[in-house]
Amino acid sequence: MSAEKLSVVGRPAPKVDGPELVTGRARFAADFNFPGMLYGCARRAGVPAGRIRSIDTAEALQVPGAAAVLTGGDIPGPNLIGILPPYDQPLLATEEVRYEGESLALAVATTREAARRAAAAVRVRIDPLPPILTLEEALAAGARRIHPNGNITYQKKLVKGDVNRGFAQAEVVVENTYRTSFQEHAYMEPEAAVAVPGGDGRITVYASCQSPFHLRGHIAANLGVPASRVRVIQAYTGGSFGGKDDVATEIGSLAALAAVRCGAPVMIAHERAESIIGSNLRHAARIRYRTGARRDGTLVARQAEILLDGGAYASESPFVTLKALTHAAGPYLVPNVYVEAATVYTNKTYCGAFRGFGVPQVTFASESQLDELALELRMDPLELRRRNALKAGLPTATGQVFAQSVGLVQTIDRIAELRRAAGPPGGEAAGEPAGGTYPALRSTPGERYRFGRGVACLLHGISNGAEGVDVVGASVQVSQDGSALVGVGLTDFGQGSRTVYAQVASEVLGIPVERITVRQADTDSVHDSGPTVASRSTTVGGMAVLKAAREVAASLRAMAASMFKCPEDRVQLREGCAALAGQGEARIPLGEVAAAAYWSGLPLMHLAFSRAPDARFDHETHQGDVYIAYSFGTHLMDVRVDAWTGRVEVLRHLAAYDVGRAINPLLLEGQVEGGALIGFGLAHLERVETEGGHIQNANFADYALPTILDRLPTETLVVEDPNPTGPFGAKGVGEPPVAGTAAAFANAVADALGLRFTRLPITREDIVAGLEAGAAGGAAGPAGAKVKGKEAEHG
Amino acid sequence: MLLEFTCNGSPVRLEAEPAMRALDLIRDRLGLTGTKEGCGRGECGACTILVDGRPLNACLLYAAKLQGREVLTVEGLARGAELHPLQVAFLEAGAVQCGYCTPGMLLSAKALLDRHPHPSLSQIEEALSGNLCRCTGYAKIVRAVERAADRLHAQGAAPGAQRRPAAGGGRA
Repeated sequence: MSAEKLSVVGRPAPKVDGPELVTGRARFAADFNFPGMLYGCARRAGVPAGRIRSIDTAEALQVPGAAAVLTGGDIPGPNLIGILPPYDQPLLATEEVRYEGESLALAVATTREAARRAAAAVRVRIDPLPPILTLEEALAAGARRIHPNGNITYQKKLVKGDVNRGFAQAEVVVENTYRTSFQEHAYMEPEAAVAVPGGDGRITVYASCQSPFHLRGHIAANLGVPASRVRVIQAYTGGSFGGKDDVATEIGSLAALAAVRCGAPVMIAHERAESIIGSNLRHAARIRYRTGARRDGTLVARQAEILLDGGAYASESPFVTLKALTHAAGPYLVPNVYVEAATVYTNKTYCGAFRGFGVPQVTFASESQLDELALELRMDPLELRRRNALKAGLPTATGQVFAQSVGLVQTIDRIAELRRAAGPPGGEAAGEPAGGTYPALRSTPGERYRFGRGVACLLHGISNGAEGVDVVGASVQVSQDGSALVGVGLTDFGQGSRTVYAQVASEVLGIPVERITVRQADTDSVHDSGPTVASRSTTVGGMAVLKAAREVAASLRAMAASMFKCPEDRVQLREGCAALAGQGEARIPLGEVAAAAYWSGLPLMHLAFSRAPDARFDHETHQGDVYIAYSFGTHLMDVRVDAWTGRVEVLRHLAAYDVGRAINPLLLEGQVEGGALIGFGLAHLERVETEGGHIQNANFADYALPTILDRLPTETLVVEDPNPTGPFGAKGVGEPPVAGTAAAFANAVADALGLRFTRLPITREDIVAGLEAGAAGGAAGPAGAKVKGKEAEHG
Repeated sequence: MLLEFTCNGSPVRLEAEPAMRALDLIRDRLGLTGTKEGCGRGECGACTILVDGRPLNACLLYAAKLQGREVLTVEGLARGAELHPLQVAFLEAGAVQCGYCTPGMLLSAKALLDRHPHPSLSQIEEALSGNLCRCTGYAKIVRAVERAADRLHAQGAAPGAQRRPAAGGGRA
């Protein structure tokens, strides 16, 4: 495949939808305006747990401008949403309150303000229940059941080899418990949807969303109408990162119900606080970990117990649990692995998909273990990883073997090479290099600035794999003027997949990218392709575009061959023309070829399916083929820690990824840089604070989102070990930089301070407190060093 | 009250509630939905507009404060089909992902370049520190502003310069 000569794939093409976005023309859901449009606003519970005694809407209906107030009883369908079984979340709760953001009623009014006032005027009586706020409380014997089947949302185990025998062979064992906190997606666009009833018995919903077919299904079910009566059009979507899956189904369904009830368009647009409280978060986690190795560093056994705090509803917790489970052993050859993973219900905002999907939590734990082991073995951390790295032909933790596209060692070697060239961390800035296991120099206690270097390796399963059927449909239509329209059942919410699809189609059809339009997803005209998740857009979506484009290209090539009077295999489609191979001058514009093809009755549109090979594995042990491919990466981070203030400055950040093939290096860098800063936030700045089941920092003044001053000097390094299941060999890279950055950060700080923090985020306060405790002769020390925090409800 | 001001070079005259937010006036009354609401509390910068050349959060500004001023929104950056050098640089540098923060970023950057045609790195950081972005990681945004500054320098003057000669010292 690498011998293939490509002209469009591999170029840093700017985003195809960029001009709309920089001019303000792009319409996001809250930008729509229809005559007679009403606004909806939910009355939320405001208490984390309780039994609903009554919901009285009379007063709310008296608020000037109020048009209607809906409660659960007004919903013709099942009054349920959810991305996966057990579909346990009510649209408007009628019996029980399970978190503070629980919606109890929807007020509809002529203005946003009136809707808000009417929502506030809904009188609710709730008998409060003692909220269950921590993993420990949820799992305690006799704990109140948040859902009828108990407080465990989902649990699975992974068994490879014999972990006890493995540990018996180990010469060194490290063991620790790690925690991570809730993280907010904080996409800049709060959620919004507009439902417009049509005169034809149908309803159209414009939504800021990630998975329009989930939305269509839930809207139809809750309206009690066939799905064919519902049309969902994705509006420009201002970021999602996994977060607009559940909540879009919630507000899209509510808007549709209200629109049908009122016979008018209805918009629901969240404010920021509602967006933080009323939509899913990244799971907080508690991970117990043990790793055993021989003296030479060879891993022999790994064991982990992963507990995820999933909040009030299941959302995507089952698959997040599964992904954490299958990634817990890291990108290493480990003969004996035993992992138990579970998600637990608590009375807090529900958790679901967030870029990384369980992998950042386990990668932080697993990579911390590797460094603790390296310290015990007095071995270079990168060398320890290289020694155990997965390679083509070696089994993963699930026993899956890939014949190619396992580029981990190449990423390690790229990093090692640059590390040699770079010298010690902070070397230039520090004058006298200080700190770090790498240069084997550590700054003396009392010195203000400490330098450290951390590395982390990771793998990330691409596409749905074990998480369900994996099909994407794409259509390619060429017009008589030689332009092309591409439709894919997946959504672009900023990551640039529309541009990637345009490049793939352009490569195959020879039509310039500027003459290709990739439409926003519209359930009326694209195939149900499942959710836009799991770093699958480029890989599985791109493959579908490739297949559809090839079919249409065959028509163009056949037509051009008959025009040239030559065999088809001599026709090349490039630069907007059909050209005769070997004869530079002979070319016909594609517009002429397409028009001729039309008049000859050749098909100029094709709908193709990319179906990834099914996952095949044992559901008890999770041994088998789980994912179609993995992306592999290695991060290196140099930091300077200010021991007085706890401030961590990142001096260098290298991120090397095996992406199979870089379709668009510019957008790829954007994915790595953007994901890295979310990882940095997770590791150093961000934590959704809850107290008594109430989120304390549901705004950007108190929730520490990284600003331009926090940006990282990320340098993206690309390794291309082609993946046979992706277009031109490509693999996704949207998610992994979050995990790699967070893990490398934790290791860099540990290296700088000689003090390992086992909880994310490692905030400035944590660092100062940890150093003080260390100076007092408390926690400081090598591998086992821990800074204990209280068992907080936010993880 | 009767409000009269200039928006994107054109005179605007309308009757409006003085306590209305400038953001709602611009989006709902003028239909200029390129200005975005991200937080409603002046914490994210998505609603940044220029008032007499000065970047302000339209969510914290009363509509009455626009009286007699000159307002620039993202819709007024390009001249017809010709994009402003900042818009071009944002596209070329990959500084746009979801695009929701982009209008505010562009206007904060324009205010900076109008005042400091050759901004230092710390001036760029300061000028954009009130504009949050969750997608890009910011590095490409910084690069885009540097690139636009270079291009404006090469062109000799900012295309917006004729419209608003003395862009410093805003008074809103």
